[in-house]
Amino acid sequence: MRKKLEGNGLWESSRMMLPEHKVAINEQQAALRLRQRIELDEQEWEHVARCVSESLQQRRQIAMRLFHPAEELTVIGIVDRIDQLKGRFMVDGEWFAMNDIEGADIEE
Amino acid sequence: MPSERVVMLADCQSFYASVEKAEHPEYRHLPVAVAGDPERRSGIILAACPIAKKAGVTTAERLGDALAKCPELVIIRPRMQLYIDTSMKITSIYQSFTDLVEPYSIDEQFLDVTGSLHLYGSPAELARMIQARIQEELGVYTRFGIAENKILAKTACDNYAKKNGSGLFELPKNRLSETLWTLPIGKMFMVGSRMTRHFNAMGIDTIGKLAETPLERLKQMMRRKFGKNSDINAELYWRIANGIDDSPVKPGTHEVAPQTVGHMMTLPRDYGKLEEIKVVLLELTELVCQRCRGKGYMGHVVSVGCMGADYDRPTGFSRQMKMSDPTNVTNQVYRAAVELLLKHWDGNPVRKVGVSLSQLTSDDEYQLSLFDPDREKHAALERATDALKRKYGDATILRAVSITPAGQAQHRSEKIGGHYK
Repeated sequence: MRKKLEGNGLWESSRMMLPEHKVAINEQQAALRLRQRIELDEQEWEHVARCVSESLQQRRQIAMRLFHPAEELTVIGIVDRIDQLKGRFMVDGEWFAMNDIEGADIEE
Repeated sequence: MPSERVVMLADCQSFYASVEKAEHPEYRHLPVAVAGDPERRSGIILAACPIAKKAGVTTAERLGDALAKCPELVIIRPRMQLYIDTSMKITSIYQSFTDLVEPYSIDEQFLDVTGSLHLYGSPAELARMIQARIQEELGVYTRFGIAENKILAKTACDNYAKKNGSGLFELPKNRLSETLWTLPIGKMFMVGSRMTRHFNAMGIDTIGKLAETPLERLKQMMRRKFGKNSDINAELYWRIANGIDDSPVKPGTHEVAPQTVGHMMTLPRDYGKLEEIKVVLLELTELVCQRCRGKGYMGHVVSVGCMGADYDRPTGFSRQMKMSDPTNVTNQVYRAAVELLLKHWDGNPVRKVGVSLSQLTSDDEYQLSLFDPDREKHAALERATDALKRKYGDATILRAVSITPAGQAQHRSEKIGGHYK
């Protein structure tokens, strides 16, 4: 009962919502939260390329920010292989798409 | 930026009827009403357009009564999915002006525009702009109550914006004494006919009188009438009368985990036989469990409610029991539901049946049972049927009892909120 007087309680306890409408609202809210891809300019690409080749050649640990629709995704590890043809690279035995790269830094 | 918030409640006029009129331009100058199906007891007016209302048609009256008053009334069958979609389009339009939009019902939404005003000018100008855009894009007329908080915005919309020519009304808090407080108590939000009678008996006949009653005094008065537990309601009414409300406009408000998952239905005719009631009980249990499974919950407590058929001599029951373990397997919940039905049903014909699950927990892990070794098998079967239903609709795969005359699952799958999709 007390809840009616706190936060959004008055409105949450008095509203009439069709379950189907609620589902639609929640789906729309979730879609709004989806992330957009960012595009890198030449300079940023150059920085990424330098970090990746440094990691590959000198076995240095790298932290790479990748695109993911719903969350922040960072891959940390050493680049093992680069597959130019398929546009992908391997970190610690797992393949990732080059297109998804949003940034990279060598870990000290 | 002003130091006070600017909140709007936007309400769509005769929402279902307006949507239908926008879809049927040929009816533009005719009285139009959206009404349920007369044969299945839902034959009431759900919405009537302003022309129909002028002819005396009111919402929730019986179809026959409405036709008697207005024989040229155009009756349209409800299309609930269309109304939900239109409501979502309206939400998107609001969202293009502010990110703080909270749907309160299918035709009412709160907007907090405090942070957007510097782009658009005064609150009234912004409201007019939104109003014009919705009229143009969707053919629906919206009314705006504008104030510094939600309760005043709602009050402004219900009591003034719906009745004036512009569909806009600003209700500043320092002008309550010459506006809201002069209205009779029955016009206040959350005060229905019963509460009006109670307040009148206490000598409170206007909203102003309620507002100026000291809270402690009001609590005493209400305690005398409704017992000890009325303090919170007393404070609620007192705050509403004084326009005090600090609730936020919360876009994510519908994402909170539910306390209970339940379904209830009014039957097309009264059911008097146990076998018939059990059929709808199973169908409702299936729906409830299906929704729980979809959301990843299990329920521990099942409750069953039945309402008798005779309005004048109300019968029926609403009881609950705790199952041995939380579950969302239809057959397990059904077993408990039948147990409740057998124990509490008095044998009188039933008009309304409801089933709900509460004390929800996540279904990531569950207790293995010695006595129900088939649980995994049931769960796999239900995963498959749920997936089928999600993809092709609820009537795609049914239990055999659902095609007996008592079964309602097929009809129900064509509906939203008891009305046709």
